[in-house]
Amino acid sequence: MEYTDILVIGGGAAGMAAALAASEAGRRVLLCEKEDRPGGILNRCTHRGFGRAFLGRDLTGQEYAGFFAERLYKSAAEVRTGVTVLSLSQDRTALLSGRKGLFRIKFRFCILAAGCLEKTPGSLGIPGTRPAGVLTAGTAQLLENTDGLIAGYRPVILGSGDVGLIMARQFAESGREVVALIEQKDQVGGLLRNRRECLEPYRIPVLLHTAAVEILGRDRITGVRIRDLETGFTRILHCDTLITAAGLIPDRTLCRDLMPAGRLPDWLRLCGNCESIHDIVDSVTREAMALGASLGQEAPRK
Amino acid sequence: MLYTDAAVIGAGVLGCFTARALTELEISVTVIEEKEDVCTGITRANTGIIYTGCDNRPGSRKAAMCVKANREFDQLARGLDVRFSRCGSVMAAFGPRGEDVLRRKYRQGLSNGVPGLRLLSRDELAEAEPLLSRDAVLGLYAPGTGTVEPWELGIAAFENASANGALFRLNEKVIHMERSGSRFILETDRETILARTVINCAGLSADAVREMLRVPAVRIFPTGADYIVLGDSLKGQIRHVIFHEPEEKRKGLTIVPAVDGSILAGPTERSADLAPEGATCAEGLEELRKLCAEVVPDLPLTEQIRTFSALRPNPRSVQRENGRWVPVDHSIRDFLILNEDGLISLIGIKTPGLTCAAELGRFCASLAAGALSGPGRNRHFNPRRTGIPRVHEMKENDRAALIRTDPDFGEIVCQCHDVTAGEIREAIRRGAVTPDGVKRRTGAGMGVCQGCRCISRVQAMLTGMRKNAPQTDSPGHSGTEKPEERHGIY
Repeated sequence: MEYTDILVIGGGAAGMAAALAASEAGRRVLLCEKEDRPGGILNRCTHRGFGRAFLGRDLTGQEYAGFFAERLYKSAAEVRTGVTVLSLSQDRTALLSGRKGLFRIKFRFCILAAGCLEKTPGSLGIPGTRPAGVLTAGTAQLLENTDGLIAGYRPVILGSGDVGLIMARQFAESGREVVALIEQKDQVGGLLRNRRECLEPYRIPVLLHTAAVEILGRDRITGVRIRDLETGFTRILHCDTLITAAGLIPDRTLCRDLMPAGRLPDWLRLCGNCESIHDIVDSVTREAMALGASLGQEAPRK
Repeated sequence: MLYTDAAVIGAGVLGCFTARALTELEISVTVIEEKEDVCTGITRANTGIIYTGCDNRPGSRKAAMCVKANREFDQLARGLDVRFSRCGSVMAAFGPRGEDVLRRKYRQGLSNGVPGLRLLSRDELAEAEPLLSRDAVLGLYAPGTGTVEPWELGIAAFENASANGALFRLNEKVIHMERSGSRFILETDRETILARTVINCAGLSADAVREMLRVPAVRIFPTGADYIVLGDSLKGQIRHVIFHEPEEKRKGLTIVPAVDGSILAGPTERSADLAPEGATCAEGLEELRKLCAEVVPDLPLTEQIRTFSALRPNPRSVQRENGRWVPVDHSIRDFLILNEDGLISLIGIKTPGLTCAAELGRFCASLAAGALSGPGRNRHFNPRRTGIPRVHEMKENDRAALIRTDPDFGEIVCQCHDVTAGEIREAIRRGAVTPDGVKRRTGAGMGVCQGCRCISRVQAMLTGMRKNAPQTDSPGHSGTEKPEERHGIY
């Protein structure tokens, strides 16, 4: 069976930084990434704002990913792309699947940097039909920024966190009309800089205290019924797309069966958005670097 | 013009099983389906329960068919390579009315010949289902109850019928039907089909199809139902199908541990007018959540991954009053199968229609055989079908071997259910033309992320494969027609 000191699961910002740091500390590192290149969610991010804190430069997500991917490939860490980790076992082995085969690998430590999941429209349970054109911000980014497709022309955006704000800007700056950004709370969420950079220049209509209460349309979405939570009044916003940016949940599916006592085994560490949801990528990188370095320095176990 | 011995209208689970049963005869079978794929109507929105038959009145067609179908279900599922979990069910009563119902169903089940029925005390009930409310006072345990994915069963029947020579014409709608001598003339939106017998399995439109030839007698009055699906993170927490028998006169809650590990809660019973077809309704979902809080208070509804709705096809006799056809009675309780001079209609088949799908298909085929004056048996009929490999259920060695011969089976596309590119490719080859079609055939997109992570890849595979689609490699290649005319899918 193959062996590695540190198995890193996920090649996004967290995984790349952890692998780099652990490898620089002299450990044998294997990083597995399910897609065909490292970068993770960064690869869908064509907007700027990445690296301001950590690198002192203003990069797009793709550039930020490229910056670390280049270093990763130059390092001693081994990178396997197109490989999915199917399961982790208590005997410190992982089962991996890829086009080259199904194999087991033994490791001393595992860093789980699997990122996060978006809350889906289905989990929100908004009543109404289930037409095309209702999608999460992440899917919209994937379709538009990776696949070169158009997600929609007249979107309503649900949720005013950073993701919602950035999606609003993406639509607006390419000349599409954002019908409204709706938010249940009494103020816009997200970072101050995103509020300033994404909303004001494009004059995006923001509806606070507002909830989506029904999805309309048979084949394709034609509108969203919204309710003003203060007055209780409802009205219909006509749109051809509903983008949900309703929150992110750490994706810890792989360690679901490893925590009978509710505690992670000592050989498994969580990192990045898989550990907790971060505001900016720079702090993900910084924490992952620290984790990689500290695991890299831990003495070998007998 | 197309000549066929038997024309089946509608390719839901009933149409597919009817077609399959018809291919056991030495006749030509043509199935006409309006939609782009099979099993997209009532079949798609269903609890997927395989009932035992203790709910049906002794002597009814439902009771006889259901008990027999349940007994034979393992064999059917094995032959068609369909996942079937015989998880058993507990029906829970919360007061005197419910207790009476349970005792009646117990006796009814015994007289119908349902094996293994047992009444459970409050403690036994709590042991069987830890999440069930402690307010439940009596349980009825039925070990024979099971669950399937309804569309998986229907698609398996479609593939098997197809392989045995049935011709499926998708994207084709019957718009007119008339009788000429001993034949039926079906005008579709594409061509004219001449048939010697017609089996009407048109689901919610079955009454309208029948009325193309006959005077109205029975119409379908749909009611709506909403469901909530919880993700597979709760796998194992619900062990049996739970039927809640409410104290008030209303529909109880049903909780189903589905074969893919998700948990289904529902259905409600509400007016169909509260929401358009295919839409869930706020009141329905609210009601459902309230019921869950009463019946299974510790079931975390926060694990909800989607909601969906269904229409229940209630058949009711109608008569003419002031120029309109109005219902004269309550919903007809037994299966309604009309044989009118070679036009065989299944109207308003609801619970336990899925359980009895193979039985109903066989019954319709026997009526059709009568109308065709006793055709011979098809000696080449093969009841077995092999499904798409379910790679994530395979043993490690077999899986490794499969990937060595075909690397597509190593490439994970759906992260939630570990569905591979190989399985998706196979689903497309077998007739999936939309991401939903791929989802129903492989489970890709049915997990917690609801396709967020795989939709782009699935869509790309659909587009790529349809461009380079093989011309002959499709299920049930039997006739001389070009494939696109047979399946209408390329």
